[in-house]
Amino acid sequence: MGYRIVVACGAGINTSTLGEDMIRERLSKEGREDIEVIHVLMSNIEAYEDNMDILVSMQQVYREFKCPVVSGLPFLIGTKSEKEALLDKIMELVKNLK
Amino acid sequence: MEVIKTAVSWFLGLGSTVIVPIVLMILGFAFKVEAKKTIRGAIMTGVGLAGLFLIVDLIVAALQPAVAAMATRMGLSLTLVDVNWADAGIAWGWPGVAGVLLITLAVNAVLISLRITKTLWVDIWSYWHGSALAGFVWALTGNLWWGIVAGVLYLTIGGFLGDWTAKDIQEFHGMPGISVPCGTTVQAGVFAKLITPILDKIPGFKNWDASPDAIRKRFGLLGEPVVMGAILGIVIGIAAGYNVQKILGLAMQVATMMVVLPRMVSIISEGLIPIAQGVIGFMREKFGNREIYVAVDCAVTLGHPSVMASTVILYIIAILLAAVLPGNKLLPIASLAVIPFWVGSVVPYTKGNVVKTVLVMALYMIPVLYIASVVAPVQTQAYNMMGQYTEEIAKGTLLGSFDMGGDPLGFLIQNVMRLLGLSVL
Repeated sequence: MGYRIVVACGAGINTSTLGEDMIRERLSKEGREDIEVIHVLMSNIEAYEDNMDILVSMQQVYREFKCPVVSGLPFLIGTKSEKEALLDKIMELVKNLK
Repeated sequence: MEVIKTAVSWFLGLGSTVIVPIVLMILGFAFKVEAKKTIRGAIMTGVGLAGLFLIVDLIVAALQPAVAAMATRMGLSLTLVDVNWADAGIAWGWPGVAGVLLITLAVNAVLISLRITKTLWVDIWSYWHGSALAGFVWALTGNLWWGIVAGVLYLTIGGFLGDWTAKDIQEFHGMPGISVPCGTTVQAGVFAKLITPILDKIPGFKNWDASPDAIRKRFGLLGEPVVMGAILGIVIGIAAGYNVQKILGLAMQVATMMVVLPRMVSIISEGLIPIAQGVIGFMREKFGNREIYVAVDCAVTLGHPSVMASTVILYIIAILLAAVLPGNKLLPIASLAVIPFWVGSVVPYTKGNVVKTVLVMALYMIPVLYIASVVAPVQTQAYNMMGQYTEEIAKGTLLGSFDMGGDPLGFLIQNVMRLLGLSVL
C-alpha cells in the first residue's frame, strides 16, 4: 500500500522542490522511505487529487481537498525551529496514515 | 599566461553540461553540503541542462519553419522562435554564473547589515533571471565581467523593487514576512502599483468585475498547458498553410514543448536546490533575526482564484496583441507560461478584480513584446556563444522570450552598457 505526499506550487520547479527535499530527508531519518514524495504544479492538481494522502501547498489554498492540507511556507521563510515544527506536523499526519 | 589561457579555453570547451556540475560540486563542498547530495545534485543539474537543450532543439526544429511559413503567408513578421524558460539554460550554463551568485549574495549580505534593504535574497533559484541577463550582457559586450556586473545589478535592484511591493503582496496573499523580488514578475507588480491608481480615475472603471469561478468553469481546460499547446499548434499550423497531417503533428510538438520544457527546468532545480540549501542556510543563520522579508519565488502567489481566471483570458489577449502590434516579432507560445506569475504580483493592486487585472497586464505586455523583439539578437548571440543551436542561428534563426527577453529592467541595463560604448554587437 503506497502512500504519497504531494508538494504543490505555482511552477512545479522551485519552491515545491525545496519542500519535497526537506520532507524526503525527514522521512529518511524516520525510516519511512516507503512513502513517495513528488512535486507538482498546482494547476495540474486535479490529476493527482485522488491519489494523494497529504498535500503540502507552497501557495494559499482556496478550496477543499479529500486529504489533509498543510502550508509549506515555513520551508521557505521559517526559522530552523519553524521548519522542524512543520516536519513534525507532517510526520504526525503520516503516522495517522497507517 | 598562455598556459592559463589554454586551460581556461579547454575548460570552457567542455560545455555547460559538464562545467555546471563541476562548479556546483565546488560550491557544495565549499558550503559544506552533504557530499551525497552535492554529487547527485550536481550531475542531476547537468542532466536537466542537457534535457533542456534537447527540448529546445525540438521547439526550434518544429516552430521555426512554421513561423516562417506563417510570416510568408500572412505577412506577419512574428519571426522569433519562443524559447521562454530555456533562458534558464543560459542562466545556469554560462561561464559567469558562479560570479553572479556569489557576488550578489555578498552584496545582499552587506546591504542587509547596513539596513539598506529588507529583502534577504535567499531564493537562489530565482537568481536565474539575473544570471540570464548577465549571459545576455556577456553576449552584448563580449566580456564576462560586464556580464557579472549586469547580473548583480539586476538582482540587487530587483531586491529594492521587492522591498517596495513586499507589504502589498504579504497582505493580499496572506503570507507574512515574504518578498517577491523575482525578475520580470516584480516589475509587473511595480507597474501595477504605479498604474492602477491612475486607471482608477477612469469613471466606472473601479467597479467593473468578472467572477473568477464563472471564468474557471468556462475556460478551465485552457488553463492546462498541454491543451493550450495543442490548440496553439493547430492554430499556427492553419495559419502556416499546413496540410492536416502536418497541423496535427505540429499540435503534438507544441503540446510536448509546453509540458516537457518546464519538466526539464524542474530537473535542473532538483539538482540545484539541495546544494542551494547550504547557501540559504548560511544566509539565514547570519541574518535571521533582523526585520527582514525573506525572498520567495513568485510561485507562491498563484493561489488566489483571480490569478488563473485572469490568466486564461490573458493567454488570448497576449496572442492578439502579438498579432496586431506593428513591428512586434514575438508570438508568445511557451512564454505564455510566465503570465500567471506576473498576475500574482499584479492582483494585490487590482484587489483581485479580473477586469482590472486583465487591462493592467495587457498594458504591461505591450512594452514587453517590443523589448523582446529588440533584445532577440543579443539573446540569440548568448545561445550561440554557449554553442547551442549554432547551425540554426547561422541560418538566421532568432530566439526570443518574455522572460528574460522581454524584461524591461534587463533592457535598461543593456542600453546603459550600450551608452557606455561597451557593446560589440
